[in-house]
Amino acid sequence: MTPLLQVIGLSKAFSGVRAVQQASFEIETGSITGLIGPNGSGKTTTIDCISGFQHIDSGRVLLAGTEITNFRPASIARAGLIRTFQNVRVYDSYNLIDNLMIAEAPFRGLNWYDALVRTRAFCAARMAAENRARELIDLVGLIGLVDAPAVVLSYGQKKLLAFAAAMMSRPKLIVLDEPVAGVNPARINEVGRMLRTANQAGMSFLIVEHNVEFINSLCHKVIVFEQGSKLTEGTPDQVRNDPRVLDAYLGVAPAPPVRAAKAVRWNIPNWS
Amino acid sequence: MTSSQTTLAAVVASVAVLALIPQLMQSNYIIGIAISGLIFLTAAASLNLVYGYAGLLSFAQLGFWGVGGYCSALSVMDYGRSFWVGVLIAGVVNLMLSTAIGLAIIRTTRHAFVVATLTFALLASLVARDWVEVTRGPLGIPGLPAPRLMGLAFDTTARFYYIALVFTLSALAFLYCLMTSRIGLVLKAIKQNDPLAESQGISQTPYKLAAFVVAAVITGMAGAIYAFHLKIIDPSFLDFYYMQTFLIIVIIGGVGSFWAVVVAGAAMVVLPEALRFSNELRMVIYGVVLVVVMMFMPSGISGWLEQRRIAALRRALQ
Repeated sequence: MTPLLQVIGLSKAFSGVRAVQQASFEIETGSITGLIGPNGSGKTTTIDCISGFQHIDSGRVLLAGTEITNFRPASIARAGLIRTFQNVRVYDSYNLIDNLMIAEAPFRGLNWYDALVRTRAFCAARMAAENRARELIDLVGLIGLVDAPAVVLSYGQKKLLAFAAAMMSRPKLIVLDEPVAGVNPARINEVGRMLRTANQAGMSFLIVEHNVEFINSLCHKVIVFEQGSKLTEGTPDQVRNDPRVLDAYLGVAPAPPVRAAKAVRWNIPNWS
Repeated sequence: MTSSQTTLAAVVASVAVLALIPQLMQSNYIIGIAISGLIFLTAAASLNLVYGYAGLLSFAQLGFWGVGGYCSALSVMDYGRSFWVGVLIAGVVNLMLSTAIGLAIIRTTRHAFVVATLTFALLASLVARDWVEVTRGPLGIPGLPAPRLMGLAFDTTARFYYIALVFTLSALAFLYCLMTSRIGLVLKAIKQNDPLAESQGISQTPYKLAAFVVAAVITGMAGAIYAFHLKIIDPSFLDFYYMQTFLIIVIIGGVGSFWAVVVAGAAMVVLPEALRFSNELRMVIYGVVLVVVMMFMPSGISGWLEQRRIAALRRALQ
């Protein structure tokens, strides 16, 4: 079976600085994959390249076997790959429903005429979309704020809203860039639970995160980046015990891996 | 009454009052002011579509306004078409012109876009002045005839007023439908956060181009009608005064709010006239009002109301 996402020999340089070099990995349909690595290891550049926000120098990206290399971001999104942003992005002046309505895909079958004169098909699509938006907002626990403009949300709440918006169009793959950085630690488990629920319903995820515990508790597969290329990949257990991973994070591989894995947490910027 | 019912009642009342103005007011001067007000309001509302919704600060509106005016004047005077065909031609020419310009410049960054549109406006005024064979240059084209429809000549200010009123109401109704539709929602989403919109599968260019073209067509037709109100068109029709008026209406009202711009448009027309009680200080007071509004409500009246609403919400949430 074709993997959901294939990245083959991806390279990207910024005026000579090689941010990503020859990175290759695959994501299976229906899985949660984690992407970790020290600061500056090219994680965000990689997902910027995959989602079309950066032009790829060389290499290929295939979504469900279809070429999406260097497509425009909007085309990639329509092909079924939706990403969120590290510095959370929402439409500040819109209420939560409208934030999700913008992200809704079924409208794309309808043209401007439908939207302008509000044809029956359009109204039906809008009604269905509104109900789904309400369900998703309820899922992320923001239903109490549904009519408030997004600007009043806290940083963590905006991340939850961005997550709900990503779910809205029922994409094939959701790429989350640091979904729990800045989220109240008490709510991190809740985010994990939501991701697992969505995953059980068939959604696939690629998660870039610094919070190693979060990744290990959630992912089927973890990919480790260092200095722009893939260092290793495997199950969370395999990766946790890989001396090269500890070396990448800490410079040396201390003797008891368990302590070192805890030590990794220092690197986590915790803004909350 | 819900807020939508209140709005509907206010709209019906305003339309009724506007329709009765020629009966209520005997002075041609006042009716003339009302015509200008309606036409300026239409141009400002379409500027609001480009600037307030699509986030494109377009000075090209002035160019489209002038092109529209000259198109209708020339179709009537040189090609013997009727006023109505002239207005239509103004719309079609602006449609083509704005599509061509839009395709070229819509992807540019904010500053480049402002400069490019400003250049187009200046170029249009240069053409109006220097292409003497067609535009008659600085002499202009005087004596534009009154429009006629089925034997009825719109030869008095009061009669012409109804042309302006019908045009304004249809243009505003169309813009209202557009701005409150999903298209308006998407346009404002792009303006707020274009990477996010892109990441959700929304291509910016078609939306921005559509807003630019629609605004150009409406502004052009408004210019076409206004030229026949003045009964003369010359290069001063492309004076920056017009662009300034449109911008002031949009900025004072609040970019991106349909009703605020409509109300501000009406206020900007009424205010200078209401201040006639002290003729010497009239323009001074007008200026002071503008400065004060901008100092205390930098995002316009609608922006100020919105900020207060958000502040109240924040307090309630704490």
